[in-house]
Amino acid sequence: MILLELFATLVIAYSFGFLYYGLYRNITARFQLRFGPPVYQSFMDSIKFFLKKDTTNHGWMFYLGPIIMMSGAIMTLFFIPLFTTGNDFKGLSEYGNLFLVLYLLVLGPLGNALAVGAGGNPFGAMGITRGLTRLFALEMPFYIAVIALMSLNSSADITTIASSQTTFNAFAYPLLFVGALFSFVGMMGQSPFDVVGAPVEVYSGPASEFSGKFLALLMSQSAIFTFAKLVLMVHLFLGGASGFVELTIKTFILFFFIIAFGAIYGRFKTPQSVDFLLKVPTAISVVGLLLATWSA
Amino acid sequence: MFDSIKNNFATFDVEVKRDDLYKVEVNKDRVFELIDFIGNNYEYQTLNAITCTDWIEDEHFSITYMLTSLDRKHTFMVQTTINRNKAKIKSLTDRFAQAEIMERDLAEMYGIDFIGNNNLKELSLENWIHTPPLRREFDTLEFVNEHLTFREGRDDNVDTKAEAKRLRALKKAQKEAEKKAKEEANGK
Amino acid sequence: METGFLKEQKILESENSVDFLMNWFRKRSIFVLAYGTGCGAIEMPPTFTSRYDAERLGIRGSATPRQADVIIVSGYCSYKTLRRIIRTYEQMSNPKYVLALGSCTINGGMYWDSYNTIKKLEDYLPVDMYVNGCMPRPESILEGFIQLQKDIGDGKASSWELYEKNYDFYRKNQEAILGKVVEPSYEADWYLYDGGL
Repeated sequence: MILLELFATLVIAYSFGFLYYGLYRNITARFQLRFGPPVYQSFMDSIKFFLKKDTTNHGWMFYLGPIIMMSGAIMTLFFIPLFTTGNDFKGLSEYGNLFLVLYLLVLGPLGNALAVGAGGNPFGAMGITRGLTRLFALEMPFYIAVIALMSLNSSADITTIASSQTTFNAFAYPLLFVGALFSFVGMMGQSPFDVVGAPVEVYSGPASEFSGKFLALLMSQSAIFTFAKLVLMVHLFLGGASGFVELTIKTFILFFFIIAFGAIYGRFKTPQSVDFLLKVPTAISVVGLLLATWSA
Repeated sequence: MFDSIKNNFATFDVEVKRDDLYKVEVNKDRVFELIDFIGNNYEYQTLNAITCTDWIEDEHFSITYMLTSLDRKHTFMVQTTINRNKAKIKSLTDRFAQAEIMERDLAEMYGIDFIGNNNLKELSLENWIHTPPLRREFDTLEFVNEHLTFREGRDDNVDTKAEAKRLRALKKAQKEAEKKAKEEANGK
Repeated sequence: METGFLKEQKILESENSVDFLMNWFRKRSIFVLAYGTGCGAIEMPPTFTSRYDAERLGIRGSATPRQADVIIVSGYCSYKTLRRIIRTYEQMSNPKYVLALGSCTINGGMYWDSYNTIKKLEDYLPVDMYVNGCMPRPESILEGFIQLQKDIGDGKASSWELYEKNYDFYRKNQEAILGKVVEPSYEADWYLYDGGL
């Protein structure tokens, strides 16, 4: 029974992630006064890459990198429950709590770094050092906000945190939400913190040597990871979800806000983004933490 | 200024070509002294360009140095002539750093050897083994016809009316041949 | 010098429904390498941005040849550029297509009597679709892409197979112009103003 639920979770995450990515291209296009591709375009992109006849390979570590990233994405997805009320679609969340999920969020860039190092392309190495530097700065505000939530609820279980909200955490503790939202923009790969995947700047960064089926795996794991992170943010700050309709609406609202934010702003350089993220959002999160735990 | 130049360097008259352009022609040995002279005394201190003209009938190259005074917005052209078959002249890189690339361009396109410039590599061409292409003895059309082929069926200078008439007659003959073949098949 | 295989290019057609489905996916998502080889590259940015939106057809820019399907040879190719184009073309993964813009690739164009450009691109790289003009406007380039999509869907755009099968012919033509070593030398130092080459 639980295997069926896990498989259904995977299918939902895969299709929702790709549909959201297609929606992202459509919405950005309408910000730029043009029509974009159809909504199911990302499915066709990834399937086309699976249908390429040959791929370049640079050794066993290069082959293993996308597999590590994909398994990290799937495991992160399984340890986040889809619904926070009731008994269905809990995933494996009773065997691992928020600490484990935060630890698994790092597996994506790590697998990428190992593979790109084996590839030998200098642009890939440049992109991945930028990516890991940016990740180090992104984690700070997010982890402080999450630690604040964990200490307020005295538990590290996502279901407990989500279902103990009478009003949404976003409105009860607004400073924590703002601090976490800054780093969430970077985690989704949107401006102003998207220097890693800058396509013309560093020749598409870390993904510059992957072709064919490796690139298809990278796109798929990106879709699954996107959906997992959105669901995590909804459970932590927006009150959890008890049905598919509520989950879809809440993730869509959050996603739309992030896209609109990213379509307007320009791009920071890596030292600028690290500088900013370690100063302003961290300060906001720390102040929010102090206010929240002082009054409790 | 004109008198001092003419007396010291034994040149022809300094020509006034426009209200911001002077030109003088001088012997090959005294060129650099003249450049220093007008640079130090009359503020022509920026080297704008070094160009070359191929006088194949008179059998010499004519090299021009264009020096500019940026404050007065005035240009001075200094010309010399060098031999065409073994073309060499001293380089200006110790005085002006930008002369390095200008002389590299001329060395590649005309085959002039600049003594003192140690960076005379190829600039726009790559692995060029034929004659330097901007010399007037290099015939580009003959070179192209020898090394490359064009697409057939796209000839130039074809009279369009005659060509259209020919194509129409061809089509008509083809149609009549088909009709005849059909009649023979039906008749049989 | 022998001439190319234009008549033989359209030889493979889709035979069964699996091929049809594969070609359908390949034609709906096309990644174009962001490489402007000649002066025709000035018409590529308007085609891919807001006014003549090419993203409606599923066409997107891609930064590396490893991820690209289509390379656009936009305009004249001097010998120096042709060396780099050949190396980039060989780095792309199959199936790959070549779109040739401008009249310089058809018969030499404006530079028909120049000593440093090639006159007929087919002798050196297999071409799928020509778009003529000098430069072709974005509407023409979009029409070329739509025709290329139709050809991919029918299975007729198979120039990559021709390159593999007749590699000796293409290599002989390339070596006649570029010398024995066709690949460019990659010993440039990025901190010198001309690469130290």
